[in-house]
Amino acid sequence: MNRDLVKYPLYLILHPFDGYWELKYERNQKQSLIFAIAILFMLALTNILSSQYSGFVVHIVDPKSMNSFMEIIYVLVPVLFFCIANWSLTTLLDGEGKFVEIFTSTCFALIPLVLINFPWIWLSNVISMEESVFYYFSSSLALIWFVFMLFIGNMTIHQFSPSKSILTILLTIVAMGFMAFLSLLFFSLIQQIISFISVIYQELALRN
Amino acid sequence: MLTRNPKIRKGLFMALCCLIGISVWGSPVQANGNADSYNYSYWGRTVASPAAYTATGSVNGLDIGIGILKEPSDIQVTSDNYVYILDSGNNRVVILDQNYKLFNVIDSFDNEGTIETLLNPQGLYVTQDKKLLIADTGNKRIVELDKDNNLIKVIEAPQSELLNSTFDFQPVRVVADKAQRIYVMSIGVFDGLMEFSAAGEFNTFTGANRVNVDPLEYFWKTISTQEQQSKMIMFTPTEFTNLDINEEDFLYVTNGDQWGENIKMLNAQGSDIMRRNGYFTPQGDIRYYSDEGPSRLVDIDVTDSEIFSVLDAKRGRIFTYNGDGHLLYVFGGLGNKLGEFKTPTAITRMGNDFLVLDKALGEITVFQTTEYGRMLNEAVRSYYRGDEEKAFDYYQQTINMNSNLEFAYGGIGKALLRQGNYKEAMSYFKKSMDQKNYSKAYLLYRKEVLREYFSIIMTGIFILVVGISIATRYRKIVRRKRGIFIE
Repeated sequence: MNRDLVKYPLYLILHPFDGYWELKYERNQKQSLIFAIAILFMLALTNILSSQYSGFVVHIVDPKSMNSFMEIIYVLVPVLFFCIANWSLTTLLDGEGKFVEIFTSTCFALIPLVLINFPWIWLSNVISMEESVFYYFSSSLALIWFVFMLFIGNMTIHQFSPSKSILTILLTIVAMGFMAFLSLLFFSLIQQIISFISVIYQELALRN
Repeated sequence: MLTRNPKIRKGLFMALCCLIGISVWGSPVQANGNADSYNYSYWGRTVASPAAYTATGSVNGLDIGIGILKEPSDIQVTSDNYVYILDSGNNRVVILDQNYKLFNVIDSFDNEGTIETLLNPQGLYVTQDKKLLIADTGNKRIVELDKDNNLIKVIEAPQSELLNSTFDFQPVRVVADKAQRIYVMSIGVFDGLMEFSAAGEFNTFTGANRVNVDPLEYFWKTISTQEQQSKMIMFTPTEFTNLDINEEDFLYVTNGDQWGENIKMLNAQGSDIMRRNGYFTPQGDIRYYSDEGPSRLVDIDVTDSEIFSVLDAKRGRIFTYNGDGHLLYVFGGLGNKLGEFKTPTAITRMGNDFLVLDKALGEITVFQTTEYGRMLNEAVRSYYRGDEEKAFDYYQQTINMNSNLEFAYGGIGKALLRQGNYKEAMSYFKKSMDQKNYSKAYLLYRKEVLREYFSIIMTGIFILVVGISIATRYRKIVRRKRGIFIE
């Protein structure tokens, strides 16, 4: 059981088709969900550590712009946005995946980003500029791997054909844009209402 | 009512004490802070910096005793510290000695028997052997006088197939190189600087500015008709605004570009060879209000060690850069105090001092270095000479006075790198945000460390390999024995 917890993610990223099949039909959903959240947490941790400890040769960060809380947001919000947008779309497009499955599959696709980028935080401290090519190569490799996993995951969870899953993913990105726009609108309106109320309160308070 | 409540009274008293305390402790801190100037950090933020130059005095026409200077437009100082002022409104050249006392006034010259005068001249240049070149704009000619005020030659509007028939020769700035070639900036010429041979013949244009096109305007132009296009503004390269020449005959020019490079260093072929390795390309202010816009550079002055300064007429500031394009210091400003200007038009150096000419006020402001400015100048100079020991010391003292000066750390780092102190060098390069040199230092440091621990590392690997092979063999033997046992 314990050994399986370490082995399964590695098995999944190397055998995505079988791995995601297992995730959907054979594995304990609650356990997978916990693991998915753990992966999200690890990715946020990787990003935070990388902004703090990455080697100077590959990474100059403005200390004033460094914010661990925002790093967590940068991981959490896009994943949630993607899941919600994907779920909304695939329910309309006859996808078989439930929201939990979409969420876990998306999180499991993030494993390569953690597995490759985490060691490079420390390795980037012992490389020179000429060797930094390897750093950039592996981070792009991680990204490509992630996109590939996301694609396979989506396809397996919803039981889509490859072309349909590409289409849904593209539509998902558009939907994410819409959601971002709507939430910005919502927050700015809320802000204005709050400021309006507070101004009225001030007016009343200062009248006396 | 307030005073009746003892609690509030006590509070008020405390607050008063605090306020007094703040003001008492606040003022000396400000005086010591000495943050009268600024610089730009790697992140493009404005950071405080001590003043490198302070205004020590000003000179006007009345001080000199020749009446008010009327719209003077150019100034130059020779290597033996004679100051040449072009008093355009009075059509004369005023020469002062190094104590700003009148030495000579040139208002006319003898052209083959006839006495001729200048008409609204805009630019002057004094060569090493004290020949005086005047861009006599109103008379559309360039006048060259020797040091005794005798006419050498007059360059009139040139005839050439490079120039079209409507060409109007209105020289405004002029310089000459060591080979006696004369470079002229003329109003309405978009093809670059006009180059004249020693004999005064027009050779060619050099160093034309590129056309910078506003993408939006370009879009409108492409969709508009021929007729509309003819009414639109033509895309012409910007004109130069000023020029200077250094000891090695490289031309330094400024132009009024909003987007492109507004400072250039031209070689003999007219191509831009300026090094822009600073955190930002030399361009004056990089942070400004959008309604004010970027700096409008109107003069450039280049001195030894590739140090050059530009004058921003929009905000009256003088920016000085080193040969790599790092911003050294900024001073000046618009205003009414000493050290501030109304319409600054020209800058020049007298040794380490700066002279800034104000057109409307007809006045020269003299700036002298502070201790910080001297240190920084010397640091840059010794680094340019290759004297890294000295540069190290000067840079060290500079950052003691201004720890915000990031590129100075790089100077220290380079000296340490040369000395073989790689680890220290790395930390300094990190402070100056210099990844390239950091990597260089790091490679050397890594090699050093690996060499030092080579034997230990190799022994470790050897032991590990032997250990693993023994362990596997042992396991095999155990397994075989067990297998036999089971069978």
